[in-house]
Amino acid sequence: MELYKLSAIGLRNIFFKKNISAKEIVKYFINRIEKKDEKLKSIISLLKNRAEKKADILDKKISKNEPLGKLAGIPIIVKDNINIKNEITTCGSKFLKNYRSLFDASVIKFLDEEDAIIIAKSNLDEFAMGSSNEHSAFFKTCNPWNLKCVPGGSSGGSAAAVAARLSPISIGSDTGGSIRQPAAFCGIVGFKPTYGRVSRYGLVAFASSLDQIGPMATNVMDMALTMEVLENRCFKDSTNLRLPFENYTSNLLESLEGLKIGVPWDIFKNVDQNIYNNFKNSIEVLKSLKAEIISVELNILKYSTNVYYILSPAEAATNLARFDGIKYGVRSKGKTLDDIYDLSRDEGFGEEVKRRIMLGTFILSSGFKYYQKAQKVRTLIIRDFEETFKKCDLIALPTTPSSAFKIDSIKDPVTMYLQDSFTIPANMAGLPAISVPSGFDEQRKPLGIQFMGPQLHDALVIKAGYAFEREVKYSFMIPPIFDEE
Amino acid sequence: MKNIPYDQWEPIIGLEIHVQLNTKTKLFSSSLNRFGDLPNINIDEVSTGQPGALPVLNEEALFKALKFALATEAKIEKYSRFDRKSYFYPDSPRNFQITQFEKPIMRKGNVAIDIDGKNRKIEIKEAHLEDDTAMLKHFNNCSAIDFNRAGIPLLEIVSEPMIYSPKEAVLYAKAVRSIMQYIDASEGDMEKGNLRIDANISVKPKKERGFRNKVEIKNMNSFSSLEKALSSEIVRQISVYTEHPNEDVNKLIAQETYRWDPFKKQNILMRKKESAEDYKYFPEPDIPPIIVTEDQIKKIKTDLPELPFQRLKRYISQLNLSKYEANMLVLDKNLSDYFEEVLKISFYPKTVFNWITVEFAGKLKEKNETLFSLNIKPVHIGNLINLIEEKKITGKIAKSVIDDMIKYPGKDPIDIVKENPNYTPIDDISYLKSIVDKVVKENSQTIKDYKKGKDKAFSFLVGQVMRLTEGKASPEVVNKLLKKTIQGLG
Repeated sequence: MELYKLSAIGLRNIFFKKNISAKEIVKYFINRIEKKDEKLKSIISLLKNRAEKKADILDKKISKNEPLGKLAGIPIIVKDNINIKNEITTCGSKFLKNYRSLFDASVIKFLDEEDAIIIAKSNLDEFAMGSSNEHSAFFKTCNPWNLKCVPGGSSGGSAAAVAARLSPISIGSDTGGSIRQPAAFCGIVGFKPTYGRVSRYGLVAFASSLDQIGPMATNVMDMALTMEVLENRCFKDSTNLRLPFENYTSNLLESLEGLKIGVPWDIFKNVDQNIYNNFKNSIEVLKSLKAEIISVELNILKYSTNVYYILSPAEAATNLARFDGIKYGVRSKGKTLDDIYDLSRDEGFGEEVKRRIMLGTFILSSGFKYYQKAQKVRTLIIRDFEETFKKCDLIALPTTPSSAFKIDSIKDPVTMYLQDSFTIPANMAGLPAISVPSGFDEQRKPLGIQFMGPQLHDALVIKAGYAFEREVKYSFMIPPIFDEE
Repeated sequence: MKNIPYDQWEPIIGLEIHVQLNTKTKLFSSSLNRFGDLPNINIDEVSTGQPGALPVLNEEALFKALKFALATEAKIEKYSRFDRKSYFYPDSPRNFQITQFEKPIMRKGNVAIDIDGKNRKIEIKEAHLEDDTAMLKHFNNCSAIDFNRAGIPLLEIVSEPMIYSPKEAVLYAKAVRSIMQYIDASEGDMEKGNLRIDANISVKPKKERGFRNKVEIKNMNSFSSLEKALSSEIVRQISVYTEHPNEDVNKLIAQETYRWDPFKKQNILMRKKESAEDYKYFPEPDIPPIIVTEDQIKKIKTDLPELPFQRLKRYISQLNLSKYEANMLVLDKNLSDYFEEVLKISFYPKTVFNWITVEFAGKLKEKNETLFSLNIKPVHIGNLINLIEEKKITGKIAKSVIDDMIKYPGKDPIDIVKENPNYTPIDDISYLKSIVDKVVKENSQTIKDYKKGKDKAFSFLVGQVMRLTEGKASPEVVNKLLKKTIQGLG
C-alpha cells in the first residue's frame, strides 16, 4: 500500500478499520525516512524506540477495542526545538548536540494523549534563527521540489519532511514566519495560531513575545485536526490564553460567500513578478468562491521587519543567555569563569545566532532607546490591524516575496531578513495566519498565499484556507522525486 | 586616629532589604521553598534554567507582598510587571534575574521606628518581587552550585536615603522584619538567610546641602553586621574627608561596592563604579503584567492581622508597659507572642515582662540558650509569676526556681517549689521578729534617715533582713514587722 500518498486522516482511518497496524505504519515511515532523507536531510534524530513503543500501545488498545485518540496511528515529525523527555533536543545547535530533555513540552503531552506517533525530530536553523535552514549547525536541508534550493526556515526540516511525505504532519514554531515561509517554499500548509493559543511550555524560546507553535500538513483538514490537539489549556505557560476548545474540522465550507478579504496592494511595489501574477490569480479564485475583495492600506507594515529585528534579538539575547556551558550543553575549556563563558558560547553558537545575540545585547545596552521605540511601533501595528479588520474579515497576502532560492545564494543577512517581510506582521500583532499552496512559478517551485485574521479568529482563517485549497488543489501534489515508495 | 570631629558629620543611609517570603513553593515554579535540605533536592526545570522552561507567578508570593504593602501603608500599584535583569554568574540559572525594575508592586510605604524615645517614620521608596539566586559552594579544586535557593521569592524593600545612623538602620531593619513576621510573610530568620541587607551610605558635614558620593555595602546578614559595617564605613569616609580637607570631595570617595566580611570584620572592595554592570533591563515577555483590583486589596486589608505598631499601642495603653518595654517585645514577634501566652496564665504584664526579658534572658544567655531552644512552656512561666505575685515565693527563691526550670525544662515550677523545702518562704512571725529587732538595733543611723523620708533607707533594712534569712523571709511579713517595730521606737 502506498501509505505516503494518504492524508493523515486517511491513514488514521485505515488504522481504525484495522487494515493496518500501528507497528506497520511506524515501520513504513521509519523506513521511508531512512531511504529518502539521505538526499533531503530534513531529520536530525529518528525516534525509533519511542515510536515503536507507542505503536505497541496503540495496537494493544485497538485489539481490546479501547477508545483511541484523534491522531491515533498518525506519524508526526517534531521540530528539534521542542522538548521530548529523555530525547535529545539540539535546536540545530552544536551547543546542545547532546542535550537530553528533562521534560515533555505541553504540545508533546497533548499529541501523546491523542495517540499520535512521534517518529522523528526535524532540522531547523540554529535556535530557529533563519529563513533557509542554512544556519543549522549540522547540515542544510534541501527543498523536495528542487534539491538545489532551500526549504525555507526556520521550520525547514518540518516543511521538507511533510512535502516529501516522510510523515503527513509535522510540528513547527513560528517567530517571524518560520512555519508559513517554509510551508510556502515546500508546497504544504502551515498555520501560525493566535499568540497564546498553543502552549509554548517546552519550546526552546527564541523571542518569547512572538514565538508560537503550530501545525504543518499536506492539507488544511489534517492541519485543522492537529490544531484541535495542539490547542489545549496549559497552566505552565502564563501567556497561554486558556480559551474554550475550538472545533476547526467541522463547519469547513467550500464557499466564502459574505466574507470580505482585504488586500494591501501597496506592498507589491518591490515584489517578484511571478509572485504578483500568482497572487492575482489567487484573488480571482477567491472571487470565484464569492469572497468580496477590497483594497486596504496597511502602511505601518513596512516597519514591521525593522521592529522585528529590534525586538526579537533583544528577547533572544536574554533567552539564550542560559547557554553558558555551566549547567548543561557543551563546555569549553577555560582557565577562568569568563573564559568558560566566552569560549563555550564562541564555540557553541553559529554565526547567525552570534549576530543576533550581539544585536540584541547592543539594543538592550543602549537603555530603552531602541527597544521602547520599537515597542511603540509594535503597538501602532496592532492598532493599524484593528482598524483594518473593521473594514474586512481577513487579509490576504503572498506568503513570501519570492519562491525558494538556491542554497548559498543569499549572503547578505539583511537580504535574508527581508524574506520574512510578509509573515512578520502576523507575529507582531499576534494574529492567526495560514499559508496554503497557491501554485508554482516558472521554475516549478511552489508558492503560497497567506490569510491573516483578527486575534482569536483562527477558525475563520482556517476556513478560508480550506475553501481556497478545495478550489485549487495544489496541496495534493507531491514533489516528483519523492512520489514513489 | 586623630581627633576627628564626628559630631560635625552626618551619615546618610538607604537600605535595600531582601526578605525571603515563606511561601510553600518557589516564585516561578512548584519546587518547594524549604531551607536545610540536601543540595539540589528542591529543583525543577525552571529553577535550573533548562531550555524551554517558563516561569509562572506564584499567587501566594504576590499575596504576601500585597500584605506587606498594606501593612506599611504603601501605594499598591494596580499595574505592575516583571523585568529581566541580565548578568552572567553561575548562581543565576538563566543568567538573568526576573525582578521588577520599572513597575514595582508597591511604592511609598513607611515603617515607624522608636529612636531614643522619639518616633520616626522611615519611608519605603518601593518594593519589588524577584527570585533568589542559587548558592555557590567553593571547594579546594572546584565550585558547586546548589539550586535549592534559586527561585525562592524575595521582596526587595528599598528605603529612601533617610536613615541617619547605624543604630537607626538596625531599628528600621528590625521593624521591617517584625512586620514580615506579623503578617506571616517571612520567618525573618537571619541565620537561614531569610533577611539580607545591602546599604548605600555617604557622609557629609552637617551644614552641607546635597549628597556626597555614596558607597554600596552588600551582604550584611545580621543586625550586628549591619551596625558594624555601617559604623566602620562612616569612620572611613569621615577620616578620608578630614585628612584631605583641600581636595575635591568627588575624587576622595569613589562610588564603589563593598562586601561586609563578618570574619575579618571589615568591608572588602568588590568593584569600582567604572566596572559596574549594565543590567540591560527590559520587560519579561513570559509573564503577563500583574493587575491588582480594588476588591483584592479590600479583601487582604480586612484579613490583615494585628501589626507591630498596633500591638505596641495596645501594650502601652492596655497593659501599661513603658514604650521601651513594649518596643522590646513587639520587635521580636516570637517573644511577644510568648509573652501573650504567659499573660493568659498570669495577667501581670510588668512582672511577666521583667522575668522574661531580664531574669530568664540573663540566665539563658550565659548558657547560650533561649526560652524557645529549651522549649520552656509559657504556662510554666505563668505559674512561676503567679507564685511570685501571690507571695508564695520570694524573688530570691524565684531566681533559684528559674535555675531549676532551665536545668529541667519540662518541669512545672509549682512542682519544683513543692518538692524543695528550701523554696518555701519563712513566715514564722516570732522568728522573723527576732531578726527584725536585731537589724533595727544595729542600724540606728539608717532608721533616722528613714524617718527623714528616705525611702531607700527602708529598702536597705528589708535587704538586711533578707540577707540574714538567706532570702527566704516573706517580704510582706518583713515589711509589716519592720514598719511596726520602727513605729514602736517612737
